[in-house]
Amino acid sequence: MPFYTHRPMHIGFLRHAGGTAVMGIPLRSRLIALLLGLLVACFAATPPVAASPPTFPHVRQGVPLAFPRDYGAHPGFRTEWWYVTGWLETRDKKPLGFQITFFRSATDHDPSNPSRFAPRQLIIAHAALSDPAAGKLLHDQKSAREGFGLAYAKQGDTDVKLDDWNILRQEDGRYQTSITADNFVVRFSLTPTQPPMLQGDNGFSRKGPHAVQASYYYSEPHLRVAGTVFHNGEEKAVTGTAWLDHEWSSEYLDPDADGWDWVGANLDDGSALMAFQIRGKDGTKVWAYAGLRDANGRFTKFAPEQVNFEPQRTWRSPRTDATYPVGIRIHVGSTVWSLSPLYDDQELDSRQTTGAVYWEGAVTITRDGNPAGRGYFEMTGYVKPLRL
Amino acid sequence: MLELRNIDKAYASGRKVFAGLSYALEDGAYVAIMGESGVGKSTLLNLIAGLDAPDTGEIVVDGVAVSSLDDDAATRLRREKLGFVFQAFHVLPHLTLNQNVALPLLLNGAQPGFASERAEQMLTAVGLRGRGAHFPRQLSGGELQRVAIGRALIHHPKLILADEPTGNLDPDTARDILMLMRDEIRSNGASAILVTHSRAAAATADYVLLLTKDGLHPLPANSGDRPRAGDAGGS
Amino acid sequence: MPVGHKRTLSRWLLLGEWQAHKVQAATAIISIALGVALGYAIHLINAAAFNEFSAAARSLSGQSDLQVRSAQSTFDESIYPLLARHKGVELANPVLEIDAALPGGDEERKRAPLKILGLDIFRASVMAPDLIGIPAEDKLFDILADDAIFLSPAAMEWLEVKQGDLLQLRVGTQPITLRVAGGLARVRAGQRLAVMDVGAAQWRFQRLGQLSRIELKLVRGVDRSAFKTELGQELAARGHFLISETADQEVRVANMSRAYRVNLNMLAMVALFTGAFLVFSTQALSVVRRRHQFALLRVLGFTRSQLLRQILVEGSVLGATGSIAGLMLGYLTAAVALHYFGGDLGGGFFPGIKPSVNFDTSAAMVFFILGLGVTLLGSAVPAWEAANTRPAPALKAGSEDVALAKLARPWPALLCLALGGVLTRLPPIFDLPLFGYLAVALLLIGGIALMPRVSALIFSAISVAASRHGSAATPVLALARLANAPNQASVALGGVLASFTLIVAMAIMVNSFRVSVDDWLKHVLPADLYVRTAVSGDTRGLTPDEKNGIAAVPGILRADFFRSSQLMLDAGRPAVALIARPIDITDPGNTLPLTSDVVPAAQLPMEAIPIWVSEAMVDLYGFTPGKRITLPIAVPAPDFVVAGVWRDYGRQFGAIQMRLKDYQALSGDLKVNDAALWLEAGITPEEVIASLRLFPFGQALEFAEPGQIRALSLNIFDRSFAVTYLLEAVAIIIGLLGVASSFSAQALARRKEFGALRHIGVTQRQILGMLAVEGALLTSLGIMLGFGLGWCISLILVFIVNPQSFHWTMQLALPWKALIAVAIALLLSAALTAVASGRHSVSGSAIRAVREDW
Repeated sequence: MPFYTHRPMHIGFLRHAGGTAVMGIPLRSRLIALLLGLLVACFAATPPVAASPPTFPHVRQGVPLAFPRDYGAHPGFRTEWWYVTGWLETRDKKPLGFQITFFRSATDHDPSNPSRFAPRQLIIAHAALSDPAAGKLLHDQKSAREGFGLAYAKQGDTDVKLDDWNILRQEDGRYQTSITADNFVVRFSLTPTQPPMLQGDNGFSRKGPHAVQASYYYSEPHLRVAGTVFHNGEEKAVTGTAWLDHEWSSEYLDPDADGWDWVGANLDDGSALMAFQIRGKDGTKVWAYAGLRDANGRFTKFAPEQVNFEPQRTWRSPRTDATYPVGIRIHVGSTVWSLSPLYDDQELDSRQTTGAVYWEGAVTITRDGNPAGRGYFEMTGYVKPLRL
Repeated sequence: MLELRNIDKAYASGRKVFAGLSYALEDGAYVAIMGESGVGKSTLLNLIAGLDAPDTGEIVVDGVAVSSLDDDAATRLRREKLGFVFQAFHVLPHLTLNQNVALPLLLNGAQPGFASERAEQMLTAVGLRGRGAHFPRQLSGGELQRVAIGRALIHHPKLILADEPTGNLDPDTARDILMLMRDEIRSNGASAILVTHSRAAAATADYVLLLTKDGLHPLPANSGDRPRAGDAGGS
Repeated sequence: MPVGHKRTLSRWLLLGEWQAHKVQAATAIISIALGVALGYAIHLINAAAFNEFSAAARSLSGQSDLQVRSAQSTFDESIYPLLARHKGVELANPVLEIDAALPGGDEERKRAPLKILGLDIFRASVMAPDLIGIPAEDKLFDILADDAIFLSPAAMEWLEVKQGDLLQLRVGTQPITLRVAGGLARVRAGQRLAVMDVGAAQWRFQRLGQLSRIELKLVRGVDRSAFKTELGQELAARGHFLISETADQEVRVANMSRAYRVNLNMLAMVALFTGAFLVFSTQALSVVRRRHQFALLRVLGFTRSQLLRQILVEGSVLGATGSIAGLMLGYLTAAVALHYFGGDLGGGFFPGIKPSVNFDTSAAMVFFILGLGVTLLGSAVPAWEAANTRPAPALKAGSEDVALAKLARPWPALLCLALGGVLTRLPPIFDLPLFGYLAVALLLIGGIALMPRVSALIFSAISVAASRHGSAATPVLALARLANAPNQASVALGGVLASFTLIVAMAIMVNSFRVSVDDWLKHVLPADLYVRTAVSGDTRGLTPDEKNGIAAVPGILRADFFRSSQLMLDAGRPAVALIARPIDITDPGNTLPLTSDVVPAAQLPMEAIPIWVSEAMVDLYGFTPGKRITLPIAVPAPDFVVAGVWRDYGRQFGAIQMRLKDYQALSGDLKVNDAALWLEAGITPEEVIASLRLFPFGQALEFAEPGQIRALSLNIFDRSFAVTYLLEAVAIIIGLLGVASSFSAQALARRKEFGALRHIGVTQRQILGMLAVEGALLTSLGIMLGFGLGWCISLILVFIVNPQSFHWTMQLALPWKALIAVAIALLLSAALTAVASGRHSVSGSAIRAVREDW
């Protein structure tokens, strides 16, 4: 999963756009997230008047994940997300892509504040629908502080809620999610067909050259989707296949990191592929990873030097002027995976409200030139210049 | 020109001034009316001017029955057909001589430029050449009355009503003014009624009428120079 | 007559007249301009202040549809999730509003608390995006920080802090320190406001679990009023909640200052009215003076309507010029006043805002029409008279006073006075004493209209008496003139009368008010020393331990503690004050400045808790003595009985007092705000203050002796009436202008009279003396009558306008010394004005004056 990609940029959101402060809420481009990460470090240098900010544990290698506990939230860590992407098909065989994300983010607010409003944990959610007929993304986002039963990320099992958006893992392992966005409503049930896929070393996923730059990370590939999409005044029954990532961490990206590319794909033969690379400021690879699990559950992990992203075709956004390598070839070991988008314009541009801009879209994938399956591809850090 | 038909008039106090007064004035006549104080000379002029109305009877000026006119129509009649010369001059103090003289023309709708030009000619005619821009306070009494005569004649009225025009003037000036007035009225072809106490003044008229309680009677020209015998009107 | 030529003639006549009588024309224009300027300036200042104030108030609630608040200043947060999840609610925005006390600083700063909004950024950013704090670029998290506060630019300037500084505030007796983390997204210029995280605010300001209001945005299509009713029923079981629409809030803001604004506007109208009267007299006199000219024009062929039009055009040119000049002057005055003094004209209703003047076109039109209208009205009567005069008699001299006699019929005047008297009996409409104001106007009009009769009567009587006693020539001449030409005299008198009446009325009202406030202050401040935890703000309070500590300090004979808080009983009205203190039920008058409206203790029902309400509560909420009412200070709302009514000059929106022990038993709130201390004999306040300062919380206490409070209160009182004094000054100037204009007009008209007097051997000095005597006599009469009329009007102001506007009664007190001083000054200046304006016409050539016929 695109870890810090969407590392919740809880608050920022105010940026001066054209002289006016634009207020928005959650996801800003991951670059701000990155910056924020750096700054929180600086924050310690100017101690606040009375606050005693909480401390967050590092992600350590060798701590085994335990389920169902680890399906639930880990409020002790700074950041956490549940991130579902997938391909849908309507009754008339029209393809749709979707993305539903819930973030939890712990703040530096003094933990001794007894107020029920104390913003110790923030919940942020983001949903998008890729409809080739529309030609661009439909998206919406929400954020709130945890509390009053209006917004929460519960421990013990997946149960995250933000007003009328939620995702809940039932005891039988099936997820129910419901999103009432501004311009669409989705209600899905996601049924696992495979056991969780632990990324990295049994769920310990390195993100950079330093050992602390890591997260706990598991995926649930090949989730069977059934549900409805309500959009444009009509309700459509849909089915499809999805991919869920759950990741939590306290540490931040390498200071040199500038953007990244991530793909998660459900392959037709029942195997699952996840790959990412973190790009440096000069566009070079800072870190990379790939994990492939075949239908039999055999997991292969690839080291940074075995994973190479090679742009094939670019698309230039008329809105942001960013150029995205929408067609890309990924060399993983000796295999060449090739991605092509459902359609080019799957850029999520919410600069007017939140400032977040990235490309997140449905793609088809080939293995060594042969059709292999479908997945979701994410690219961040392509919008320049960023005023910071 | 002017016809008084059977005029009755009493003052608000109830005192009767005229009873069955009748008289006819022919076109171009210049007549003086004399009479004792309080006999109703000024009232007669007011009646003719439409400033006052008779109790009964009719006054016809140039074919128009004045007594039947409403205030606006009577005003228009004054504006168009009558000219006034007063004992107290009544020149507007804040207007220039030219403006004062031009006033009747403007009231009759003349172009201001034309009115001003005519007023200048009129001032020349009354002996005030080149003094159009002066204000009344810079003038003597005789000069003020010259202005008033100019104002009375500028719009070519049919009938001039002059009420003791020389009453405030010294005899020499009075004579000059009377001659000027007569000459100017004549040359304008207007009729005139001159109300006066002064025999000398009356003598400048074509003939003199005496106003008594019984009506208007011709006065024999016994002492005037150049009296012109005329019919003692009355019918 | 073609239009163009008529215009030429009309212009000649106008210009000729004005060039000859520049002073009169100028006075008329100036007086109209002053009236319009004053009215427009006050309107602009009030409107700017009010708009800014309500915009600022509105900006605090953003784009919400409904607001839920409780009768008390805060309520339990438990209804927040209920509302947030409520069907029909799209968004619920919880707000904790705190008026935080500022420690130390100068007096001005201490007087006002800092308004802090505790907001949930995630909700508020949708509802009220303007109120979002802007953190430093590198400290985005400050927006949620537990120690961060965001200040509006005006607040930063006021508190003399900048981003990154520390800000000291106080909760009760505890100091707290916050970090100024940045500014606010968009607040109104001058608005002093702070924003912080709601969770941090609850914690730092000891308001855990409390909210001030919840703003609701409803799902599109939900019927607002039906939803309001339904929600009201649901919430009824959970406490005393008031659900208001944004419109209610505006009504409340408007109600707050309405009486004050209307009062000022009325005063400005009186100035305009006085100016109008002056125009009337100028026009009337000028028409009378020109009777000959008008008669001549009529003879020469001016129709009635032409003449009427001519005079009205003259009036409208004066009126229009004066009005336009007045509008410009008013705008300028308002701009200058707003720039230098802010929008608060002294009433204290609009603190902490910086309004800017805005040329209000529709109001400008109204004032233009008013200015023009009164001038035309002033011209219409003499114009009508002139047009309908028979020209022939008018050409004769000496008919001037006859002309004015028509203006002096007594019946309309008596009718005005009678109607004015009747109107004083009527109740207020829309909480405003509109009938009272109308009565004032009618009394003024009637009084002035009656002047000719009264002055003729009085001066004839004096004249007869004087000639019988064989007085000197000058007074006899003056008296004869005044007695025989009373109408002209009365025109001059009108200006003096109008202005002096106004002065007397206002002076008596203000003095009565001031004396009453002073007496009241003596009554309500019986103790030797007063202690408060902070001058204002709802965060203050002494804990029971601190309270006992104070009471135990040696040298203190008795200590009474007070708890004051705010109760909102009606969403459309400002909150009322609730004061709990020890009150002896058998003798409440000992503690409270009671009116005669008291229920004796013996007749009070045993089971009901007694409260004593201010006069405003009776008028606004119908809390009459003996009435059983409930007050939302506990759940379920306890029953009370109104035991008496007391005078309160401090809070025009209402206040309730109850016994502290009742309050504490009902509400469970054991904190107190203030204390009144009686000291043992021989102990000075300084000694006690020194001991109290030794407490750990001693630095947070503020001390005041009754004398200081009294001085401060009276100082505030005087400041709030400063505008009134200004209006009085303008009225005096207009009155003197009236004297100047009517005397100079008359003196010109009387040139012939003076010429004749000079001929028969009266010296120039004697004529001037005669003018001075005339002026003085007229002014004396004006002053005497003005005093009578002013006294009547002051009765209306004191006993009708004030109780109806501000809901307080007062006793009448006449400021004799001040009135006599003003009267003498007015007398002298009127005599001097009369002489000065007469000098010009007297100095002319006597011969010339006699010969001239007009």
